[in-house]
Amino acid sequence: MTVSPDRLRSVLAWVVIILTAGPPGVSVVLGVVYGESPCVLCWAQRTSMILIGLVGLFVLRYGPRPRYLGMAVLLGAWGVFMALRHSALHLARDVGQGFAGPYFGVHTYVWSWVIHWTVLVVIGALLFLLREDSVQNWPREPDRTGRFALGLFVVVVGGNAFQAFASTGPPPFIGQADPVRFSFNPRHWVWSLGEWGPAPISWRGSWTIAEPDPAALDPDPAHGPLADLPSLPVSKWEQIGVPLRGALSDLARDPSSGRFLAVTDRHGVYLLDSTLSRVLHHVVLDPGYSIDLSPLAGAAFLGGDTLAVLSTNKSFALLQPNPEADADREWRHFLTTDGSVSELRLGRFATVRARQMYVMSLAYDPAADELVTVTVPSPRHRRLVVSRFARADFLPVSELVPALAGGLAPSGPERTLADYVVTGAVVANGSLYAFSAAYSTLLVLDPQGRMVRAAYAIPGLQRPTGLAARGSQLLVAQADGRIAVLERPAP
Amino acid sequence: MEFLNFLLILWAAWLAWRRPEREPLAFRLLVVSCLLMALLFLVGTRTSLVPGVNL
Repeated sequence: MTVSPDRLRSVLAWVVIILTAGPPGVSVVLGVVYGESPCVLCWAQRTSMILIGLVGLFVLRYGPRPRYLGMAVLLGAWGVFMALRHSALHLARDVGQGFAGPYFGVHTYVWSWVIHWTVLVVIGALLFLLREDSVQNWPREPDRTGRFALGLFVVVVGGNAFQAFASTGPPPFIGQADPVRFSFNPRHWVWSLGEWGPAPISWRGSWTIAEPDPAALDPDPAHGPLADLPSLPVSKWEQIGVPLRGALSDLARDPSSGRFLAVTDRHGVYLLDSTLSRVLHHVVLDPGYSIDLSPLAGAAFLGGDTLAVLSTNKSFALLQPNPEADADREWRHFLTTDGSVSELRLGRFATVRARQMYVMSLAYDPAADELVTVTVPSPRHRRLVVSRFARADFLPVSELVPALAGGLAPSGPERTLADYVVTGAVVANGSLYAFSAAYSTLLVLDPQGRMVRAAYAIPGLQRPTGLAARGSQLLVAQADGRIAVLERPAP
Repeated sequence: MEFLNFLLILWAAWLAWRRPEREPLAFRLLVVSCLLMALLFLVGTRTSLVPGVNL
């Protein structure tokens, strides 16, 4: 199915008219009448739509030459990218929290995505209808509709030029991130060079977060951010007596049964007896099923038989020993299983203060029925955040940056708690204990995580990755499966 | 800069319509305008060139 060049030219003229009168034309009216001003990113997207209209005029004038069609496709694709990049600033925020005002319930940057995507669809449709001889037989003189399209284009671009002059100024002034409303009064015009200012160039900006690597940390307590810490000696060593798939990444103990829960960085989950020498149940999670599970780094008993395991990206799985587990149903969850474990739930912790930060620890506070994580600071986000999540719905309850109690002092002016990398945490005896693999330091906090009450240096450890409580003892698990036993310090 | 770009666009449109024999210059203006538009967008997003979401 094809159409004649005359017919196709008429259709194209109307496309140009609609595209020109639509977003770029309406935007000028909104700007001049209602004061709506575009930001620097909106200006680029509006310009892109106008340029697509200009390419349409070129086709009307010279015919559907390949380089015009190529340019139109490039502009449409670039426009889709711009709209996605711009929308990403706002799409994930809370309901109604867009940038500037919505039109027909949708903000302008989203309209930009719709329009550029539609342009690509229309180009495809027009090419589909193009006849082989259209280039040779394209009419040389524009018809009445084409001339109207050109006139409208000039008027709309002229209006945009006027608004751009008032809102952004002549070169080298440039559009602004937070534009003020349009005014005919030059005293209210803001001409800014702010966007030209020095700023780092980055692919992902604040999303550039390296995955935590405990092996690269300095274990020497003497180099830590807190000065003059008392030492807590290792009273004895124990050892997990069974082979594990991967390196041990956390250890938890069930106070009622004495059983241990061990997880590894290769998604192994092991329920061990109280002597750490016998596997009661084990599975290897399939990290590719459903949500993305990065290496496991946290483990906790949630009471009863419910086991919680946490990956560094704050995704979690709830498991339960179940002698009657349905092997066919569980096949999707586990790469390996002993056949007596069920997966209850997969989920992801949402955070605000701890956003864009990994975690390497998980604790359970039975008194509050809440789960606790501690962030791993990164060069982009230097904070140590204690996050608590309700067991009932796994939503955040609190996110706190702990303060230092009196008696604890930084070892230098630039040193903070964010120098620590907590790889193990446990709630016991009314306190939150957090162990940092960096500088081998045990932090003792109030259960909410508001304040670090005490800290102890633990010399002699190698790659500590987990923390559990057993009676009056704390058990520091190492990646090699060895367990350092400490006498829990008095609160 | 946005004002300058709209002037380039108007110039290219005028050439294409009133001086059709100057198509090479009009098309070059179109290309320059596209590059300027892309540059201005990148200036505004250079601290995070790709969308700030999970990719």
